[in-house]
Amino acid sequence: MIATINAEVDPTRLPALVVIGMAIFFGTIFARLFQLIRIPQVVGYIFIGLLVGQSGLNLMDLESVNDLQPFSFFALGIIGFLIGGELHRDVFRKHGRQLLAVLFGEGLGAFILVFVLVGAVAFVITNNIAVSIAYAVVLGAIASATAPAATVNVLWESKAAGPLTTTVFAIVALDDALALVLYSIAASIAAILLGTETSGFATTLARVAWELLGGIALGAAIGVILNFVLRKAGEHENALALTIGAVALVAGSARLLGIDMILAAMTLGCVIANLAPRRSKRAFEVVERFTAPMFALFFVTVGAQLNVGGMPGWMWAMAVPYLAGRTIGKLVGSRVGARLSAAPKSVTRYLGFCLLSQAGVAVGLSITAGHRFGGEFGTAIISIIALTTFVVQIVGPPCVKHAIHLAGEAGLNITEDDLMQEHTVNDMVDRGAPEFLRGTSLNQILRTISQTQATAYPVTDTTGGLAGVITFEGLKESFGSESLTHWLVAYDLMEPAPDVVHENMPLCDAVSRMRDHHIEFLPVLAKDSSDLIGMLELRTVTRRLSEEVMRRKQLADAGS
Amino acid sequence: MQLSDYLPLEHIIMLKASTKDTALAELVQLLVKADPKLDFDGLIDAIHQRENMLSTGIGQGMAIPHVRLKGVKRAAMAVGVVREGLSDYESLDKAQVHVVIMIIAPEGHHDTYIRLLAEVAEVLKEDELREAVIHAQTPEEVYNVLCAGSS
Repeated sequence: MIATINAEVDPTRLPALVVIGMAIFFGTIFARLFQLIRIPQVVGYIFIGLLVGQSGLNLMDLESVNDLQPFSFFALGIIGFLIGGELHRDVFRKHGRQLLAVLFGEGLGAFILVFVLVGAVAFVITNNIAVSIAYAVVLGAIASATAPAATVNVLWESKAAGPLTTTVFAIVALDDALALVLYSIAASIAAILLGTETSGFATTLARVAWELLGGIALGAAIGVILNFVLRKAGEHENALALTIGAVALVAGSARLLGIDMILAAMTLGCVIANLAPRRSKRAFEVVERFTAPMFALFFVTVGAQLNVGGMPGWMWAMAVPYLAGRTIGKLVGSRVGARLSAAPKSVTRYLGFCLLSQAGVAVGLSITAGHRFGGEFGTAIISIIALTTFVVQIVGPPCVKHAIHLAGEAGLNITEDDLMQEHTVNDMVDRGAPEFLRGTSLNQILRTISQTQATAYPVTDTTGGLAGVITFEGLKESFGSESLTHWLVAYDLMEPAPDVVHENMPLCDAVSRMRDHHIEFLPVLAKDSSDLIGMLELRTVTRRLSEEVMRRKQLADAGS
Repeated sequence: MQLSDYLPLEHIIMLKASTKDTALAELVQLLVKADPKLDFDGLIDAIHQRENMLSTGIGQGMAIPHVRLKGVKRAAMAVGVVREGLSDYESLDKAQVHVVIMIIAPEGHHDTYIRLLAEVAEVLKEDELREAVIHAQTPEEVYNVLCAGSS
């Protein structure tokens, strides 16, 4: 048995599981390191991909990457599904016109500028008008695509919310379809120009229609079924398994039927989110928890596939006008579209910077072109897109992050748990909380308590150390006799503190300690000593966190 | 709450002491005799520590020294009557102390402890009962007054 297993292992190649493990494990470590220096995690994933892939150590060769294709498709399906989930009916109803204007602005802006610049440079290089136009039209079409995954990942990482965020979600979802339409038309024109045309224009259009409409139909059909099944199934585990299953089914079937996979997955997410907004929230939440390793795997393989070595000089020369045209086209195009449709200022100013990433869709289209045209033209398209993808994947995500921060939308889509991660006990401790010396009389204690809001009061000894706490609950017993107020002191009434925390402890740890042990308050000690500095009350922490969440939500809503 | 649950007859004595310290020591001794697991030194220290914060001489001839302490397994009381009075007790009304009611409780028994203190204070609020205790001739008389007066 062991011999049989060993016999199946090809010693020259890493087994797929090792590659997956490496991609997720090291990808995540690098992403974390990059995050520490404030660079979006996507860049970290791609960087490790480049390092182990064809452009680097070649530990993960093209065949290994191909082994992972089903996982990559699945990851892309999950990403598409989650993006679809952000597309609520209200967004289209409220901002439909604006979205269309921006979409055509940025998509056609990139297309036109790349067409002109690449065409000119290609003509200088090839001195052949037909070939130059073929390059210009195909690369122009590919330029209109934006990488939804890389962009959206930064939005999630930045906890963004607001009009710019909403617009970016919608645009990256939609311009996939636009790029597909443009590319199909462009490829047909290029085929005619290059004389490799095998099928007619009408056939090409029919195939595009099939890819797009088929994608929407498949996603919608499985979405309706999933919605029905989710309604019947109750528990969390079921929701995860069913949703993941549906996504895999959509992604796999789309590949099988030759229809647009991301579009299908987005439609699935969109249908679920709009048919049952509240119930589907749970489905999205469980899937979201599943995304981190998927993202790692997907982007590491994207990085590993890029081969930027061994390109002839003229291809490098064509990459420059492509990059310039695409960047300027997206920036100017989105600005013009936003202004024409009277979009909010943050959208007009910063949207372009959020649309620079290019990855899966562009690389996919370039590979399609490579297959279709072959020869030098095909290789050039693949190489130029690989090189420029490398550049914009390093530059694009930080641009998104920066734009979101400038627009003031970072950190607005935040939960109380997220906020807790940002704070230490020190930020929430009540330093002004009254404290009593051990000998303070009950009379004095009652007078003080009647003027304050706290539910627990620390008692200190003569050196300022914590001796115990007096709680409202514990005081109640002393109300049994009026005469006690004259001769009982804090020492008689205090109880041992249930626990203590130091001021530098992360707030989330302190809160989970209180919740786990059903404690309403904790005395807080100075960082490196046992001196009491104040009290932490669960009630106060919860109130302040929810006020902050509310404030940020109002800020995000106010922008739209 | 029944004081008799915490105050058996043998915990009531007519004190020979003439000072606060000896009176407190006699009562602690009584409690330790009834429960040998109690630590005399620890208990008397804790009682004194509490007295140093504020005297438990609550006035009108009464004193209620009290403490919660680790090592005490159940709440208990001891009562001593001093016919001649203790003049060094530093009562809140500066008057002599004639009756010393000691209450001890385990550290975690906050509720029982405060309830016992409140109950004793309530009984002694009645002039008639208080006078009866001060002038009692035997432990039985003290027992009958205190335990009959509690609800």
